[in-house]
Amino acid sequence: MTPAGQMLIPALVLLPLLWLLPGAVHGGGLALLLQFWLAALQPSLDPHLLLTALRGIGVTLAIALWSWFLSLLLGFAGGLLSSVAVSQRLWRCTWPALLIRRLLAFPRSLHELLWGLILLQLMGLQTGVAVLAIALPYGALVARVMADQLDALPLQPIEALSTAGAPAWAALFTAFLPPLWPQVLSYGGYRLECALRSATLLGVFGLGGIGADLRLSLQSLQFHEVWTSLWCLAVVMLLLEGTVRWLQRRWHQPLGSVGQRGLELLLLALLLVLLLIPSAQLMELRWQELFSGWHWPASLPLWDGAGWIQPWLPLIGTTLLLTLLSALLALAITPWVLLLLCPWRGCRPLLQLLGLLARLLPPPLTALLLLFVLKPGLLPAVLALGLHNAGILGRLLLEGLDAQDQRASEALRLAGAGPRRSLLVAGFNTVARSYLSFGAYRADVILRESVVVGLVGAGGLGVLLLESLSSFAWIEVVPVLVVYAALTLIGESAADAYRSRLLSGPLPLEGLNQAVRS
Amino acid sequence: MLELRGVTVPGRQRPRLRAVSLRLEPGERVALLGRSGAGKSTLLAVANGLITPAEGGVSWFGAPASQQPLQRRRQQARIGTLWQDLRLVDELSVQQNLNAGCLARWSWRQILLNLFSAQESEACCRALARVELEASLLVQPLGRLSGGQRQRVAIARLLRQNAQLLLADEPLAQLDPPLARRLLHLVLDLGQSPRALLLSLHRPDLVEGFDRVVGLRQGELVFDKPPTSLSTEDLHQLYASSGPS
Repeated sequence: MTPAGQMLIPALVLLPLLWLLPGAVHGGGLALLLQFWLAALQPSLDPHLLLTALRGIGVTLAIALWSWFLSLLLGFAGGLLSSVAVSQRLWRCTWPALLIRRLLAFPRSLHELLWGLILLQLMGLQTGVAVLAIALPYGALVARVMADQLDALPLQPIEALSTAGAPAWAALFTAFLPPLWPQVLSYGGYRLECALRSATLLGVFGLGGIGADLRLSLQSLQFHEVWTSLWCLAVVMLLLEGTVRWLQRRWHQPLGSVGQRGLELLLLALLLVLLLIPSAQLMELRWQELFSGWHWPASLPLWDGAGWIQPWLPLIGTTLLLTLLSALLALAITPWVLLLLCPWRGCRPLLQLLGLLARLLPPPLTALLLLFVLKPGLLPAVLALGLHNAGILGRLLLEGLDAQDQRASEALRLAGAGPRRSLLVAGFNTVARSYLSFGAYRADVILRESVVVGLVGAGGLGVLLLESLSSFAWIEVVPVLVVYAALTLIGESAADAYRSRLLSGPLPLEGLNQAVRS
Repeated sequence: MLELRGVTVPGRQRPRLRAVSLRLEPGERVALLGRSGAGKSTLLAVANGLITPAEGGVSWFGAPASQQPLQRRRQQARIGTLWQDLRLVDELSVQQNLNAGCLARWSWRQILLNLFSAQESEACCRALARVELEASLLVQPLGRLSGGQRQRVAIARLLRQNAQLLLADEPLAQLDPPLARRLLHLVLDLGQSPRALLLSLHRPDLVEGFDRVVGLRQGELVFDKPPTSLSTEDLHQLYASSGPS
């Protein structure tokens, strides 16, 4: 099958979803849903509300910025320590790197919401919890990606410097850092966007920021207020995405003079530090309090048999089904809409707007909205996760198509093929491998994210874990945590294996535009 | 300057080097001849310390190759290698690549500053001029340079390193004949006293400027003589096909 064909096949997921739909619709809230979308055109402009929304966004941004900064620090350190190539150079053995890599798998395996709830139980309610909840899994993820990239770099330049008597660290800095820089900066930018989405999501679950306002307004059906917050969030998100794209493009081009990139990096780092200080004040981050009042559970009943007796098969089955359906839906939407609507001039702007809205709404809020018309269950959860991730995947696909060489498409169009056929043959075939590869990575993310749509009755391991944590049922928490972590790590390995088979080489940094552009 | 004593490096089917002994004095320029797989690159890797031989010993500048890391690095800082694949850092500028030759003697502050700003520009200009390259290339990213220019940058890096013992692994491979000759003259010029040069070659017609020619065959040293006494039989012995090589 051609790569383009593989891009279109995931649409088969619509068959089971359409089969489920008649039994899931109740239609009682159709008018409410209509009101919600109409309110998008008339957001509330009440000055008090605007001020509250701006403050909420400020706190969300501050959480995102701090958690991103800490995750990069953790990731850099962890990446260096868990890189086999670095370990070999510094200590002449690989076991420390392999050990650290295994240890880092655990923080990575849990979704930030679960980390949030665990830390909430241990530290109490404070904004620092949200910061740590994002920084821990993100840091472990950055460490893994960085270690993979370090290990994929050619060793010859470093060998040349070492045999010329350069100290190991100096050789590492000089030979490894420059090729790694643009990639790390691009990936860092992408993680900042992710951190903003995660900070909003944690807010929905009460950990501060705009997410809390959004949930309160939605639950009290104040749709005009919801849209005030959403449009503010959209502006921030677009600005952030635009800035990150601009910086990524700039840093992927060779610059004029020696060290210019390094100087820009230093200036950016300085700006970041200057931003971190007011951010900490805005969200009232107090590190001393954060670590002083830990409340450990009286006992952790690790080996209590009762906790280990769970209906594992249906729990795991539901989690995997939710993941699979959501991932396929996320992959299917943009290519098909693009293919069907591409002759129309407004197709791209429409897709960009829909993609922005999909990314903007955290999945639990989309799920709540869907409950206006659907009964609780698997379907609203699949739709919520699928639509949100379709927004993320869709943006990458559109950018990939824009950035690719247009000559093949042009030749086909000039030979009489219509826009649909030239898009299918020249466009999709070029970007398909990267798109599917990023889709596999998103499937891995969805497996972790399955926990956030629990409130609409989707079921699965994540939901059970969420409920156990919320009700302090430690007897259940540990076994479910272990099984959930094992499942996400197996999912991660499967996604990685598929991606490396697809790309037949070292994996590109996930989420980067060049993944699509390559 | 360099002494290999009975060096043996094991390989999968046969030893990559078998009891090879070789000595280089200051000012000597030695060509290493042999077919592909004869052990030339392995010998150079032993000479620069990349490979530690299973048997035999290596001495640099009159002292045995140290096993103590700091001492070994000090010894290696005086040995410059011109690699066949150059091993420059594509993402750095020409100037940063030249300065990478100074890592062994630079402080941490200088090493980090080299990544952010132009360091020791005058010395870099002199090194570039020595290899007949324009100073305007200093700010260029290495990736923009032609193959010949990159090769010269690699030689200029050896000058920045201030290496006393120069090792070169097939530096003329993949170059057109006029460029190969120009580059060979440049390297021979650099290898004059007080430096020494050990350079591996594919082509026997280029050995005339050297003081000695060493022949390697299947990991063994076959001859070591001045180029003027190199005979057709010597070359036949070296390049005749007998068994895998």
